[in-house]
Amino acid sequence: MRITDLLQKEGIELKGASATKAETIHRMVDLMNKTGNLKDPDAYEKAVLKREEEGTTGIGDGIAIPHGKTAAVKSAGFAAMVCKQGTDFEAMDGKPAQLLFMIAVPDDSNDVHLELLSRLSMMLMDEEFRNHLISAEDKEAFLKLINAKEIEKFAEEDAKMTASRAVEKTNSGYDIIAVTACPTGIAHTYMAAEALEEKGKKMGLKIKVETDGSGGVKNELTAEDINGARGIIVAADKKVPMARFDGKRVLQTKVSDGINKPEALIQKALEGQAAVYHDQGEESSPSDSGEKESVGRKIYKDLMNGVSHMLPFVIGGGILIALAFLFDDYAIDPSNFGMNTPFAAFLKTVGGAAFGFMLPILAGFIAMSIADRPGLAVGFVGGYLASEGYILTTVKGTLTIATGGTSGFLGALLAGFIAGYLVLGLRKLCEKLPESLEGIKPTLIYPFVGILAIGAIMVFVVNPPVAWLNQAMSNGLNSMGSSSKVILGLVLGGMMSIDMGGPFNKAAYVFGTASLANGQYDIMAAVMIGGMVPPLAIALCTTFFKNRFTKKERQSGVTCYVMGLSFITEGAIPFAASDPARVIPSCMVGSAVAGGLSMFFGCTLMAPHGGIFVFPVVGNPLMYVVALVVGSIVGMVLLSILKKPLPAEESEI
Amino acid sequence: MKEFTYTVTDPAGIHARPAGLLVKQAQPYASEVSIEKEDKTANAKSMLSVMGLGAKNGDTVKVVAEGADEDNAIAELEAFFKENL
Repeated sequence: MRITDLLQKEGIELKGASATKAETIHRMVDLMNKTGNLKDPDAYEKAVLKREEEGTTGIGDGIAIPHGKTAAVKSAGFAAMVCKQGTDFEAMDGKPAQLLFMIAVPDDSNDVHLELLSRLSMMLMDEEFRNHLISAEDKEAFLKLINAKEIEKFAEEDAKMTASRAVEKTNSGYDIIAVTACPTGIAHTYMAAEALEEKGKKMGLKIKVETDGSGGVKNELTAEDINGARGIIVAADKKVPMARFDGKRVLQTKVSDGINKPEALIQKALEGQAAVYHDQGEESSPSDSGEKESVGRKIYKDLMNGVSHMLPFVIGGGILIALAFLFDDYAIDPSNFGMNTPFAAFLKTVGGAAFGFMLPILAGFIAMSIADRPGLAVGFVGGYLASEGYILTTVKGTLTIATGGTSGFLGALLAGFIAGYLVLGLRKLCEKLPESLEGIKPTLIYPFVGILAIGAIMVFVVNPPVAWLNQAMSNGLNSMGSSSKVILGLVLGGMMSIDMGGPFNKAAYVFGTASLANGQYDIMAAVMIGGMVPPLAIALCTTFFKNRFTKKERQSGVTCYVMGLSFITEGAIPFAASDPARVIPSCMVGSAVAGGLSMFFGCTLMAPHGGIFVFPVVGNPLMYVVALVVGSIVGMVLLSILKKPLPAEESEI
Repeated sequence: MKEFTYTVTDPAGIHARPAGLLVKQAQPYASEVSIEKEDKTANAKSMLSVMGLGAKNGDTVKVVAEGADEDNAIAELEAFFKENL
């Protein structure tokens, strides 16, 4: 039984006033009652007063330990009061009391009472420690002092106790429970789980590890496991359900710590060095050894939560669309390629439906990582508005809301982060609301205000400049139409991969299809090749520069070949979203080179889509392939230079 | 130096109230009085110290007195322990 486990902030008063002994006791009983440990505060107070009659608990040296063991106590607990100027407690040495600790113990507990008294006394023997406590600036500091002292004095004893308990409990209950999770959920999650399990067994402890991987949650912790555990470890690089650990000591850390230093983690968890987790649905979590999670790591974690959830939509949708091209007949209607036969139309429609979810999912799960469940809906809607590009605009002379500002995946990233922090902000604001409104926060306030706000932000703030950019770009391209073809090819190719579906990409693509209508077939060829390069460059890089990627990334690299060859630029989005600063420039340069070469060789294309499946009708197909290969290799080489090799444990080579 | 050993019979151990009595009993002696339990030693004249010992029912403690009145102290303390603890 640790004092730190039994003393809560609510039970501490650092500015106690001088008063009579009875008044002081009454105030401390109030404090104790606030912690929820008492069934009947009056009965408890009587018990404490009765105890004082038998002999004062003002034990001298400015310390008083009033206590009561009675059926009026629900569970063992502490309250503490600091009275800087001292208060009379009829102490044995006649000195006023400055440090008062009140103990409540239920009637049925045998030695708890004594053990707590003994512990507290041993700690308080240190005069310097007492002085620190008296001058503690806030409750947090007060608790920290006690925790540190308790670890210093009793860590060994506590660990021993746990070890002996481990031997006693052979059938039920775990000493250590843990959750492991990583963004991709393929390898690290399970490596960390294995490392913890093995080390735990070696240390003679019963350990249970829940894995939150891509296959869903396995070996899930039950409420019983959680309540019975001596230490809890969460080694995760993504959000895992935390509310169940409310009020427990939880050691939160990176998944790689689970792999590399399981012993240290278990030791720390056993010694109770972790902070008590209080579920406020907030992300702010003191991680390993009290250091704050760095901003970069936090952004990465949020981002990866979005990307990992988006990935299945990209892969499933991308392959279905590629199959639609495979099973379609180009000859029926080139401008409608992919939808000409019923079967192809079916595949393309279903694949398109999956693609439609891509950006909302990305934004939704980023927001959820930041603001927990209330963030999901708000992020989802933000992502959808980014992907549809709704803006306030004039259609046929009437002012209305219509599409036109599709901000693509960059817009969706923005929407996700805005939505997340918006909901966090809402929660902060709502803290001031009366408690009676608690119930309607998640059911009414967060969804309604949150979605309304993200809607306004996307439609009136984020999307309009995007629409303007798109328009400016189209105008720019039109005015370029007559200048150098090769430069136009460079620009178009590059634009296709700047934002993979955003304003640049859309402007270039629309320009390409519009040129088809005008009978200029070389422009569409440059546009398509520019959109094929990004997935191909990345796919090649995962093949030839394996150590730049995680295992999961390498596996999705395979589908990138299919998508690149099918002109499904979206295949590159998961990579671009998780590492935009390196992936986008590499792809842009590769695409620009391919687009420029395509123009240079005078390649032409009469279909607006189709990738390799429309190559038979490309004009000058051989050189078109050359342009594609050169562009992809340029992109790959650049990417391999910009991306640094990952440490072996992450790349798993 | 004089000493005696004693096994605590009070079902609640040497908790705050008996510890207070013990300290009151021990304070007047000129001798140093200490109580030992396993590897821990407590100053019998300090309540904090005695409570820190955490002696439970069934624990064996050794009481040691050293000083001018040690004979008297040990005799009286042994009687005190038997009666109160």
